[in-house]
Amino acid sequence: MKISKLLLLLAVLGLGAGTTVMYSGIVNVAADEPHSDLVYWLLEETRENSIAKASRNIVVPDLSDPELLLTGGTDYEFMCSTCHLKPGQKESDMSLGLYPAPPNLALTHEDHGHEEHGDDDADQTARKNFWVIKHGIKASGMPAWGITHDDQRIWAMVAFMKQLPNLTPEQYQVLTAID
Amino acid sequence: MKTLTKIALVLIPTITLSATLSGTANAHDPKFHVKKAEKANCSGMDHSKMDMKDPVAVAMMKKCMKQAKAAKKAMKGMDHSKMKKDEHSSKKTDGHNAQDH
Ligand code: HEC
Repeated sequence: MKISKLLLLLAVLGLGAGTTVMYSGIVNVAADEPHSDLVYWLLEETRENSIAKASRNIVVPDLSDPELLLTGGTDYEFMCSTCHLKPGQKESDMSLGLYPAPPNLALTHEDHGHEEHGDDDADQTARKNFWVIKHGIKASGMPAWGITHDDQRIWAMVAFMKQLPNLTPEQYQVLTAID
Repeated sequence: MKTLTKIALVLIPTITLSATLSGTANAHDPKFHVKKAEKANCSGMDHSKMDMKDPVAVAMMKKCMKQAKAAKKAMKGMDHSKMKKDEHSSKKTDGHNAQDH
């Protein structure tokens, strides 16, 4: 009886605190004001684990066909490079202005200090990338491209992203140009 | 006088609104951010040096071959001899062009 009363009291207090924070307006949602380290860590862990779980059972098709680099490359240039940059480009309005910031996908993972959790093999990365491109990431600038593009187009972009960190600006230009 | 006031009451906000709205539309003119469709710059490629096992090299070759073919096709569709003749004859016969010379 006593414990249940205590729990009830705690629940009411917790709800009160939450409501106060919510309605007082003290939470700053400005994109030019970074999260505290704690909030950033909480959000990052939640995101990484969610993506890893959701993408676990995706079967990766053969991504070696050079033709994929052409469709994927053109799509990347026109749909993604404004936010995720390209070889020879260091920043854009979007890469500077968005928060969370879109990672520079033209760099290798070590370069942009983006930590991979769990096993970091190529298939794992391909699965995660496919899932993120298809479904997007809530409350970030990353759109869900699966609503308007079929799986084949998305896999082609995944194939292109595999090569992207190794491309020179000249190679990138040829691969992504409209023919 | 009363109808004039009514008309003014309707027209002034309408004009103001449409002017400001088209103003914002201009500020967001898609042309500012639209990308130019560039052709592939194939001139710098050294085919002899390319490793045909490398998917990037193969894809680049394919792209440039496609582009070269498309360029040839576009040329075929044009009748150059006709174009020139038309241009010259129109200049000679068309009286309006006299001002240009
Ligand atoms: C409007 C900007 C924007 C566009 C356009 C965009 N993205 Fe993103 N993307 C983001 C942001 C922001 C994130 C990071 C989200 C986060 O950290 O929660 C992201 C994350 C990602 C990630 C996860 C990266 C990682 O290592 O965790 C991938 C993969 C990705 N985007 C691929 C793409 C592809 C492919 C396209 C084009 C089809 C694209 N994005 C278009 C903003 C964008």
